[in-house]
Amino acid sequence: MRSKLLAVVPAAILAGVGATWLAAHAGADRPTEPGPVLTLLVGASLIGCGLASWRARPDNRLGPVMVLTGFVWFAGLLSEATNAPLYTVGVAIEYMFLCGFIYIVLSFPSGELGGTVDKAIVVMAIAGSSLQLAAMLFGSGSGLRCGGGCGDNLIQVFHDNGLALALLDLQRALGAVLTLTAVGLLTYRWLRASRPQRREVTWVLLAGNATLIALAVTVVDDLLGNPLNSGPAKVWFLTLALVPIAVLATFVRRRLARGSVAGLVVQLGAPTGPSDLRVALARALGDPSLDLAYWFPAEARYVTADGRPVEVPAAGGGRRSTVVERDGTPIAMLLHDPALEHNSGLVQSVCAAAGLALENERLQAELRARLVELGASRGRLVQATDAERRRIERNLHDGTQQRLVSIAMSLGLLESRLAPEQGDAAPIVREARTALAQALEELRELTQGIHPTLLVERGLPVALEELCRRAGLPAHLNVALDVRLPDQVETAAYYLASEALSNAAKHSHGSEVRVDVAYDGATLTVEIADDGIGGAAIGPGSGLRGLADRVEALGGRFTVSSPPGRGTRLVAQIPCA
Amino acid sequence: MRVAVGDDAVILREGLARLLEEAGFEVVGVAADAEELLELVDRSEPDVAIVDIRMPPTHTDEGLRAAKAIRAAHPATGILVLSQHVHARYAIELLSSGTDGVGYLLKERVADLDELSASVRRVGQGGSVLDPAVVSQLVGRRRQADNPLEHLTDREREVLALMAEGRSNRAIAERLFVSEHTVEKHIKNIFGTLQLPLSPDDHRRVLAVVTYLDSQ
Repeated sequence: MRSKLLAVVPAAILAGVGATWLAAHAGADRPTEPGPVLTLLVGASLIGCGLASWRARPDNRLGPVMVLTGFVWFAGLLSEATNAPLYTVGVAIEYMFLCGFIYIVLSFPSGELGGTVDKAIVVMAIAGSSLQLAAMLFGSGSGLRCGGGCGDNLIQVFHDNGLALALLDLQRALGAVLTLTAVGLLTYRWLRASRPQRREVTWVLLAGNATLIALAVTVVDDLLGNPLNSGPAKVWFLTLALVPIAVLATFVRRRLARGSVAGLVVQLGAPTGPSDLRVALARALGDPSLDLAYWFPAEARYVTADGRPVEVPAAGGGRRSTVVERDGTPIAMLLHDPALEHNSGLVQSVCAAAGLALENERLQAELRARLVELGASRGRLVQATDAERRRIERNLHDGTQQRLVSIAMSLGLLESRLAPEQGDAAPIVREARTALAQALEELRELTQGIHPTLLVERGLPVALEELCRRAGLPAHLNVALDVRLPDQVETAAYYLASEALSNAAKHSHGSEVRVDVAYDGATLTVEIADDGIGGAAIGPGSGLRGLADRVEALGGRFTVSSPPGRGTRLVAQIPCA
Repeated sequence: MRVAVGDDAVILREGLARLLEEAGFEVVGVAADAEELLELVDRSEPDVAIVDIRMPPTHTDEGLRAAKAIRAAHPATGILVLSQHVHARYAIELLSSGTDGVGYLLKERVADLDELSASVRRVGQGGSVLDPAVVSQLVGRRRQADNPLEHLTDREREVLALMAEGRSNRAIAERLFVSEHTVEKHIKNIFGTLQLPLSPDDHRRVLAVVTYLDSQ
């Protein structure tokens, strides 16, 4: 690569010397001539920076484009030659270098023209430069180019200097319009760009816009007959020489950014947490918006550091993703700004440096994801239990209870039809009816315990009211809740109160119990406190354990405080998602 | 007396219709859901509509809602709501829309033919009926020692419960094997202890007693 590029150098020197010699020997007849110094400066800048960029970023088209533009620039100076063929070629391509320049500023940093507007501007620039050829069909060398001492225009067919000059004026006007359009386009893009994108294009944008504006001023000044003399042209050639330098500088700075990978490696040597790792990578990549996601093989998807699922950004959106692999399996994904796409080298180095740290984080994220999954499965178990209880209650109500009631009715009918002489059968029937009533009552208690219909039908406050009404101790209920909450939350609160009230009646030896329920819009707090002997604990197999499980399955907290002699206080805080 | 029956379970509504006929009532028709029952009542204007609280489509409290609709459209038709559960709340909701000619009974009570015909008759005559299980929940509720209800004697508490069930003084007297005069004396004591205004009407005092019990 390097030797191939070096082969260009002698050609460049030859072209540079030739062009400079021509510039130095041209008559100073027009104020828009670059002169020998600026000729050399602009050409050397384009070819020199072009070669360096080519080497730094062989995959980027900007390097070769700059080199080519430099040669075209030098070739344009042939318009100062006296030899007729050279002069003709020189004049014909005199402004072709502008197409290269426009291409450079519009396609930076990728080297590819982005949209239709970009392409249209470049095509128009080529068309504008070609107007020179059209003018040459009509005008003589002296009329077009210089007062005297120029070569002959070999492709002149017609003799109409007026038309030729009008074509040249059109060319300059078109140039001014294209230039200002390009300024507007670049500025608009800058305003819409993300922070890392801006940082990337700042220098080229400044040099490019300065050049374009200076060019516009030069062209307008030229159209008006050069009232500002050679000033605008000097500024424009000078700024033009700066553009390749800005391009090269940006490319080189990117290579320097890879130096920050060394800093990253040092940083990762110290113990890090997930947020430290993100910050370190964001700094190394220069993208503060960077996010990390970790591969969760059990579910074949990416999760955040705390185990929540992550959506992979869609192609073409405002975010890009880069997958980090180790030994062929994905470990993490970087979610970053599209600007980093033009710098995959840096991303690769950073990923390589952070591989181990990412793998560690991934293992932790996997653990957290499993905890999240576990929590969800606990919640599903509770839901399934509730659904099953509902089903059993419904079956008992529609089946067994109804059949028993129907038998009771038949017995009632039988009792009324017993003839007076069968009087000794009446007590037996009544006995059966009483036993049946007992069975129905027990069944009723059972079904209410399995699934409280009142809770579903009327909500927590009413269901708690009914519980307190039936409580074995005087119960004070204080409910601050005027909305319906998710089923499983209401059910958990209800069972909690139910179990706590029956515990208080059976074990507390207290004289009263308070039930306080409050809802703050996000969390339901249920507190049941008695004034009994205390000493309750969440032991394995106790009713409280089951309640704690139910509350915790909903992501809630359950605490028991029951110091001996000072009553028992149960508090459950249940989030209502 | 003419009665309409609404229950979604065939065996229960047919069984109930049979029992009612056995007890000497005229059953004007049976309905499988609230809508059918409302049409039946519109058509035949019975003295009493007996309705299961839990019916299609949601199987929750359709019966209660049907009862309210019937009360609004046919004030002369008494309503007896049957339930398989003891929900004092539903009984109170039902009574609070007016105690004239309403009742709330556990379903299995209908098996006692005497009890059934007494309840239907009471509701049909504009009285009220509250299931003893509901009343005992209200009366038997644990209260603090300084609650006025705790100052009632056992006999007064019995009388209070029978009043809450919707029974007349005479019925209470028969039930407790005492004279009506004694019952009146008990009632006066009860109302005095609870500081309730004494109501001369057997029907209207039910709501007063029930809301008092519920609030304590």
